[in-house]
Amino acid sequence: MTDTVSDSGKKPDAFVLSPEKLRRQRIAKFVGEGFLLAVASFVAIVVLFIFYFVAVDAIPFFQLRGFTEFFTSTGWYPADEPGEFGALAIIYGSGMVTVGSALIAVPLGISAAICLSDVLPFSVRQYAKPVIEMLAAIPSVAYGFFALVIFAPLLQNFGGPILMWAWWLIAGPFVLLAVIVAADLLASGKGDEARERVMRTAFTLLFGIIAVGFLYWVGKTLSAIQILSGTNALNVSIILSFMALPTIVSVSEDSLQAVGRELREGSYALGATRAETIVKTVLPAASSGILAAVILGIMRAIGETMVVWMASGNSSHIPDPWFNYLESIRTLTATIAGDMGEADQVTGSARYHVLFAMGLLLLVFSFVSNFISERIVVRQRKILAGE
Amino acid sequence: MDLGTRKILDRSFTAVGITSIVLMALALLIVVVPIVRGGLGALYFTGTVEHRKIQYEEFGEGDGRRLTREIEETEKARAPVYRFLGEFEAEMESMDPVKKRELASKYGKVKRVLAHMLGPLPGEPEPILLRFQYGRTRWEQVEESLHDLLFVTKWDYSNPEEMAKEYFVPRIDEFRGTALAGLFPYVENNIESMMLPRPTFYWGFITNKSLDAHIFGGIWAEIQGTFFLAVGAMLFAFPLGVIAAIYFTEYAKDNFFTSMLRSANSTLAGVPSIVFGLFGLAFFINTVKVSESKSVLAGSLTLAIMVLPTIIRAAEEAILAVPITYKEASLGLGSTKWRTIMTVILPAALPGIITGGIISLGRAAGETAPIIFTAAVSVGATIGLADVFSSPTPALSWNIYNLASEHEAANEIRHVQYGMVLSLISIVLLLNLSAILLRARISKKLKG
Amino acid sequence: MQMTAESKDSAGVASQGGAKREIFLPPDRERLKEGGTPHVVAKNFSIFYGDFEAVKKVNADILSKYVTAIIGPSGCGKSTFLRAINRMNDLIPSCHTTGTLMFEGEDIYGKYTDEVLLRKRIGMVFQKPNPFPKSIFDNIAYGPRLHGVNDKKILAEIVEKSLRKAVLWDEVSDRLDRNALGLSGGQQQRLCVARALAVEPDILLLDEPTSALDPKATAKIEDLIEELRGSYTILIVTHNMQQASRVSDHTMFFYEGDLVEYAPTKHLFTNPRDQVTEDYITGRFS
Repeated sequence: MTDTVSDSGKKPDAFVLSPEKLRRQRIAKFVGEGFLLAVASFVAIVVLFIFYFVAVDAIPFFQLRGFTEFFTSTGWYPADEPGEFGALAIIYGSGMVTVGSALIAVPLGISAAICLSDVLPFSVRQYAKPVIEMLAAIPSVAYGFFALVIFAPLLQNFGGPILMWAWWLIAGPFVLLAVIVAADLLASGKGDEARERVMRTAFTLLFGIIAVGFLYWVGKTLSAIQILSGTNALNVSIILSFMALPTIVSVSEDSLQAVGRELREGSYALGATRAETIVKTVLPAASSGILAAVILGIMRAIGETMVVWMASGNSSHIPDPWFNYLESIRTLTATIAGDMGEADQVTGSARYHVLFAMGLLLLVFSFVSNFISERIVVRQRKILAGE
Repeated sequence: MDLGTRKILDRSFTAVGITSIVLMALALLIVVVPIVRGGLGALYFTGTVEHRKIQYEEFGEGDGRRLTREIEETEKARAPVYRFLGEFEAEMESMDPVKKRELASKYGKVKRVLAHMLGPLPGEPEPILLRFQYGRTRWEQVEESLHDLLFVTKWDYSNPEEMAKEYFVPRIDEFRGTALAGLFPYVENNIESMMLPRPTFYWGFITNKSLDAHIFGGIWAEIQGTFFLAVGAMLFAFPLGVIAAIYFTEYAKDNFFTSMLRSANSTLAGVPSIVFGLFGLAFFINTVKVSESKSVLAGSLTLAIMVLPTIIRAAEEAILAVPITYKEASLGLGSTKWRTIMTVILPAALPGIITGGIISLGRAAGETAPIIFTAAVSVGATIGLADVFSSPTPALSWNIYNLASEHEAANEIRHVQYGMVLSLISIVLLLNLSAILLRARISKKLKG
Repeated sequence: MQMTAESKDSAGVASQGGAKREIFLPPDRERLKEGGTPHVVAKNFSIFYGDFEAVKKVNADILSKYVTAIIGPSGCGKSTFLRAINRMNDLIPSCHTTGTLMFEGEDIYGKYTDEVLLRKRIGMVFQKPNPFPKSIFDNIAYGPRLHGVNDKKILAEIVEKSLRKAVLWDEVSDRLDRNALGLSGGQQQRLCVARALAVEPDILLLDEPTSALDPKATAKIEDLIEELRGSYTILIVTHNMQQASRVSDHTMFFYEGDLVEYAPTKHLFTNPRDQVTEDYITGRFS
């Protein structure tokens, strides 16, 4: 096409560049994209820096004191001369409130997520979502204030009755359900329908009386409990569960939504009820995503500072017995926040560096759980995509 | 299983789900309602003449002539009280030493309570601390003091099985037969004319600085500090986040390096907030030395790092939501990639990006842990804009903690704490609400 | 491909006595004599998505100032071929090409080719009307502004001229500052044509421009193509054979990535040379 080349080559707005101009354009593009990449890499650099700078200040502690004391002793007297730096009770406290908040938030969060994705009509869901967002938006110090100023006195003054009411409201319906199901299971399979019905009624009555007795007995025991201090592990666990809930609900809901319609329809078509469809079909398919949600929620609870600092009582000991949630405890985050005020006067001392060691512990934990949850989500996406 | 049982199980399953949603809404209400109630009490309350005195003398607010009249009136009502005290002191001189010593300490208590309620008693040296220069400013505090004056608190240890119980004995019993006995019924009957309680709307709670560590005055320094910190954080994080999002959505190739960058982003999102505080201390203050010690700048930088992942994610989502047809149309007209991004994609994604920015702004305003070591001070005056590079600042979030947990008179200034919490929650929730509304408008617009 | 005697002849005419080349031209000598010159030339041109060859070794000359329709069943590669001409396929990371595709004698995929300048010369209108969420004026002025026109008066002239060319001026002249998304679908699509014309391209690529429109709006777009015939080289991808026969001078038929037949429209529709073409235009498959 030599002829047309010569024609078009003279056109003022040729689309072909001279080598010189191309080179300049390439350099400009390289510089521009390099700048964007640099900014995008900033986050990665920050992550590395965080690990580095926290670790650099954490290592001197282990050089000074070794590992054994930190992880196995419960003696925490950093201000003494010589100090003791046993963080076992503090690590235990962190674990305790995390487990406690997970025990509340996980069942509540998952059932709320199921409700949002499968039960509620769209119109209601629209109003439920902002509620969850608001729960997530309230600053942690406001939760801490609530826990310290409003909730702790309530627990201290009316602890027993509060526990009893909570027991009746939560356990009551479940125990009754268990009674009905147990009676049904024991009575079915006898063949004769009339006999079955009689047996079912008899079993229901029998178990019902036993169950009400049980409920009443536990309720009475609970109501007799006196809570010595409202700033305790129970208080913190409840408030932390409020804070972990939004994460658990929204991530679980995403994962439930990712399970397609087809699976649900297949189950309905076989005559399953909604509950059976969800429990036997949808939940197993979404289980890994829900696990990721739980991990993320737990991370929020373990990394939370203000609530535990204000409302945990900050007493560094392992409760007696070990599951006694009505005692005050102390956590890693609260220790860092509370002790730095005095410790940063003595930069370089074990007292200063031990707080960074705790920070490093938190950081490693959050990194590992984040990594695991991310893997889980990726795997679920791959499985659902059929790869 | 019986069909009936299966149906019951199904219904209870639904009920559990709905209950959990209701519980979450209840949790929100249980937390927010008392805070709103308490917080409004910082703005609207029954104020005494002492409140008006402070406002006039310290801030120049209020009606001076009317206040003078009121002070005269209260002084007239208070005069008998001081007379009772004078008469009793004269009487004490003539008592036998044992009884005198016994009564002196009890009388000291009465004087302390009265001084707390009414302000310094005549004839005593002018106190140095502002908190002792004025009486009680809020009517419910006056009522508390009145109760303290009228009754002695005792503890009942008779039942060793249970915790000790509180009970009250009239204080007048301690002074029966002395000149002071007349004081108690007088104060009880004339307390209103001594304090002149009046419904007060105290707008200055927001705009006044605090006096004597929040015993009196408002919370302007904290509000301003929170504003500086949050806006400062956004100044750093917003541009960085949007640029990074542009890179991730438009330029990043699908390779290992990119997925590593994305992992870094979610790792950063998961770092506990207190660790950001440690990092801010170790890096910005101790290593880079952006300032001598704590400063707004160091706090803003720390907060910026914390909110960065949120901004990046929101901006990425907003950019990905822009229909690809816009991009095609622009490129098809001979636009460069960069100009397409700047003139078509970003404007279309802007509402979504701003939504993410608003939510991050709220988060930066509400966070406490990252600023404890980097920016926050308990007591401090308002700082000027020029001071942000070098001075620390009070901030709502930190001072809520500080006033509620570490203040020496934490119980007496609950109203200030509630007021601060309400201010902080209002700021954060209003920001979030506007983000929610903005998002609703966007989705409506996209639907056409 | 179908190297018929006729096509070889016409290639010879086009190259005006040049060396023997494998170029495939529609055998419409009369039109060529009226001044038809090849505007876009494909030589062994293939397009791949990863390993999948979506367009297979196409050889064709597309003639200047004519309307050429590209038809074929969905997935045949017709849109891919069209989008290759102004390199819109660059947006798809896995997409690459072999062979050459020349525009006015320069390789579109050449080392020194700037796709931005190229797209200024080769405008495109897409399947779904895609006005920017801006005012009508700003939509049209977008292109000229990109290429350095900032004078308000000149811009206003360009906008009016382009809207008149797109037969939209009378309908929108009184509301140029309104959001373009408020227009009807047909108006939006004509706006997109006007927007493409505003940068004064040489070629206009229309990628199924009426598939999202109702019959009335479709008729208006077809009228518009009629209006533009002779001023621009127009390529239109369509799945509507009536439309192809109504608006085009030449028609290309793609099937599974192959350019099966390329001929003057009236020949292709009345006397297809290939069995597959005949099956397709008679509706045996679609």
